[in-house]
Amino acid sequence: MAEINRTDLAWEILELAGDYGEQAEVFSSESDQTVVEFRANELHTQQVRWTQGFGLRLIKDGRVGFSSTTNPDAIEGLLAAAAETAAYGKAANFSLPGQQPVRVLKMFENRVVLVSAQRLREWGEDLIDAIRSRVPDIKLDLTLRRCLRQVDIINSVGLDASWERTELELSLNGLLVQDGLVWLSDYENLSSGEPLAIGPLAERVCQLARLVRGKAALKTGSYPVLVMPTALPNFLLPLLVAVNGKHLEKGTSPLVGKEENRLLDERLTIADNPLREWSLESAPFDGEGSPCRRNLLFEKGKFKGFLLDLATASACNRATTGSAQRDYASPPTPGTTNIEVSPGNDRLEKVLGEMKEGLIIYDCIGGGQSNLLAGEVTLNISCGLKVVDGVPVGRVKDAMIGGNVYEMFSNIAALGNSQRDLGNYFLPFVLFPGLLVSTKE
Amino acid sequence: MKSFLKEIIGNLGTDYADIRVEETERTRIVYRGRELDDIGRSFERGGCLRVFHQGNWGVATFNTIDERLKELARDVAAQVTRLPTRATGLIPLPALEATVRIAPEDDPRTVSLAEKHDLIQHYNEILLKTNGIVSTLSQYLDAYRSVSFYSSEGRYIDQEFVYTGFSCRAFARDGTNIQDYSDSFGKCRGFASLQNREQQVERIAQVAIDLLRAEPVQAGRWTVVIDPLLAGVFAHEAFGHLSEADHIASNERLRELMKPGTRVGVEELTIVDDATLPQERGSFRYDDEGTAGARTELVRDGVLVGHLHDRMTAYQMNEPLTGNARAVSYRFPPIVRMSNTYIEPRSVRLEEMLGSLERGLYVVGSRGGMTELESFTFSSQFAFLVERGRKVKMVRDVTLSGNVFETLRNIDMIGNDLVLFGGVGGCGKAGQGPLPVGLGSPHIRIRNVVVGGR
Repeated sequence: MAEINRTDLAWEILELAGDYGEQAEVFSSESDQTVVEFRANELHTQQVRWTQGFGLRLIKDGRVGFSSTTNPDAIEGLLAAAAETAAYGKAANFSLPGQQPVRVLKMFENRVVLVSAQRLREWGEDLIDAIRSRVPDIKLDLTLRRCLRQVDIINSVGLDASWERTELELSLNGLLVQDGLVWLSDYENLSSGEPLAIGPLAERVCQLARLVRGKAALKTGSYPVLVMPTALPNFLLPLLVAVNGKHLEKGTSPLVGKEENRLLDERLTIADNPLREWSLESAPFDGEGSPCRRNLLFEKGKFKGFLLDLATASACNRATTGSAQRDYASPPTPGTTNIEVSPGNDRLEKVLGEMKEGLIIYDCIGGGQSNLLAGEVTLNISCGLKVVDGVPVGRVKDAMIGGNVYEMFSNIAALGNSQRDLGNYFLPFVLFPGLLVSTKE
Repeated sequence: MKSFLKEIIGNLGTDYADIRVEETERTRIVYRGRELDDIGRSFERGGCLRVFHQGNWGVATFNTIDERLKELARDVAAQVTRLPTRATGLIPLPALEATVRIAPEDDPRTVSLAEKHDLIQHYNEILLKTNGIVSTLSQYLDAYRSVSFYSSEGRYIDQEFVYTGFSCRAFARDGTNIQDYSDSFGKCRGFASLQNREQQVERIAQVAIDLLRAEPVQAGRWTVVIDPLLAGVFAHEAFGHLSEADHIASNERLRELMKPGTRVGVEELTIVDDATLPQERGSFRYDDEGTAGARTELVRDGVLVGHLHDRMTAYQMNEPLTGNARAVSYRFPPIVRMSNTYIEPRSVRLEEMLGSLERGLYVVGSRGGMTELESFTFSSQFAFLVERGRKVKMVRDVTLSGNVFETLRNIDMIGNDLVLFGGVGGCGKAGQGPLPVGLGSPHIRIRNVVVGGR
């Protein structure tokens, strides 16, 4: 729907903010989304989501205040609240950035803008038909989402930066009732505008549906564990928390003082890359206007550095890494964007073929519930297969994996030779030679 | 507002339509260590309109509340009427006009920012003065929310909501050993409910220090006594989500699994979802479809007796409305969610329960939980190894997991000490979170639980 001009209002807020403090920054954003949801194989809702909002960061008497609104009629309140909060705010130990050159990124695709709700619905229906023709008893939940997102950041020292990004993705959850309930999940990032390739996706889902039909017993013990890309974010999470500059500033990261130390297997290179094209977190500049860059987190196992925004960088006497994350309703804070684990040399078929007795994990639940800063993970395997002599023999139920990720990643047995695109994670598979698996057996 | 909303969805020519317009004011104050890290206020205004026709839903969310919404509503209606007919419907509701107001003394907008700041700074200082605490994360949050709802059935509801809460986390460090412990308090009550909680905060710092000396738990199968918070997380994560009828309604095999009359636990086991409890974190008078919130028994005396519904799932399953259609904000349509979910108390004292353990774990607190229907996992803050009825030592990294039905059958003792919790977080489902919910339980004992660890 047509709306008031967001950028004009942002400039008006910036001008008015001049009466309230020394420096000001206005972050404004707008998103126009179409979401089509299927539940249990049937169309459930067709949604149009339209959002716009304004965030005002004000530096007044050397302190930082913040307020936000979605209400164009509440600008006076927005300004007063920013000034009020600044009275208690953190000392502004940094200067807002001026205009700086940034890279041009492929992140806007007109074909995505033109994808209609009807097209999303057709893709969903065709995919459900393709899967159910081979797995009639599966119940599929699909979410297809198309989004046009626009961001503008302006400030009182001359920054006038903006970007537009298109996003198109499909998430799938399949439920099978087979000796208990089994969830299968899959994902496709379609942001580059290529149409959904229904055949290969349906083939993947049907193949997994066939493999999880049988149940396999597994005794508590240490096994080789092949973690597929879809499950790997659960294992990476403690590392990504530890590289956050906030934990450097407060001394709570276990990585403080460990830069250039080899902490992980030398095959592992992990980067945060906002400049990756057609990704869900692509952006030429970060949430406060600093140019984005690819930041190496671990290179050949060595810890390379923390992710910083202007405030944490200043507090730690370092330079920003262009890692300020935010939306209009929150002030900038360091965070990750697109996480890349560089591929290794190992083929899945070969690694699997050489496994005597072990596990493949496609999905887990429970990530983020443990003591992440200490590197601890304890995960419930929600979709995993037992492998004997290189052949998957059945689904493993009610089993948990626990341990410390610094120990796990310090010794890996294999690293996949390709990356899977999961929207904002780009990951190969990882084979751990021996992880403790707790079961009821 | 009523006449404006009526105009937007008045003559769409569809089976049903509703519109919800919301205004929210929030304050947050965050301390990390000695420094204030973030302070901010937000003013949100937006809405969600839904159109239902011949079994299909069309939804639009928006920020701008003006005459242009009429055009948006017509567009959504035009799209929905073109969809193929589906054999489903909605349970009808009669016309109604209702107003729900908060008590003026509970309104956080009447409390100065200085008072809010000073309270969380005070609690943060308590953590920092404890020897061994290297950093903290202390947050104050409040929200005032006003929602106007109108449906094509002539149902108009104007509701106010209030929430205040705080959470404190203490980080203790000994070389590379970093341990943290947190606790929170938050309900649909005013600022005064957050005051005088110094003892609760002092305990946070002490537990974080104690955790430095705790060893990881030994993985395996254990008999566990779990405290009211973690048992409440179990009730919510494990059984509550499974009782949400949007999973069940269109899946015949799940319907069979969750059929009323099925015995799921011991006779002492009763699990309830209750939106009508006064001022709890998940309480409300009307849900986001305009249905009155209710007390719904999910399990009574060990037998499955109820499900949680929105208007469509109740129609599909031919069961009574329960008023559990909730949206986390105007940005989303309502879906089936819990309110306050808890296990009812029985007669066993905690001392009796611990005394019954030859070798087991007394598991305390929660770091959260997740579920995928019948599979669940939830993590505790810490546990005590109990031998011959006595707490022997503290252990950490205790995560419990399993199959809901098997675990429910293995609950063999239910305590007499029900506690209900709120906090600052909430429940996540289908991209909507954190939704305010309450949960609770007395202490319970469960046999043969898989515990992950070393």
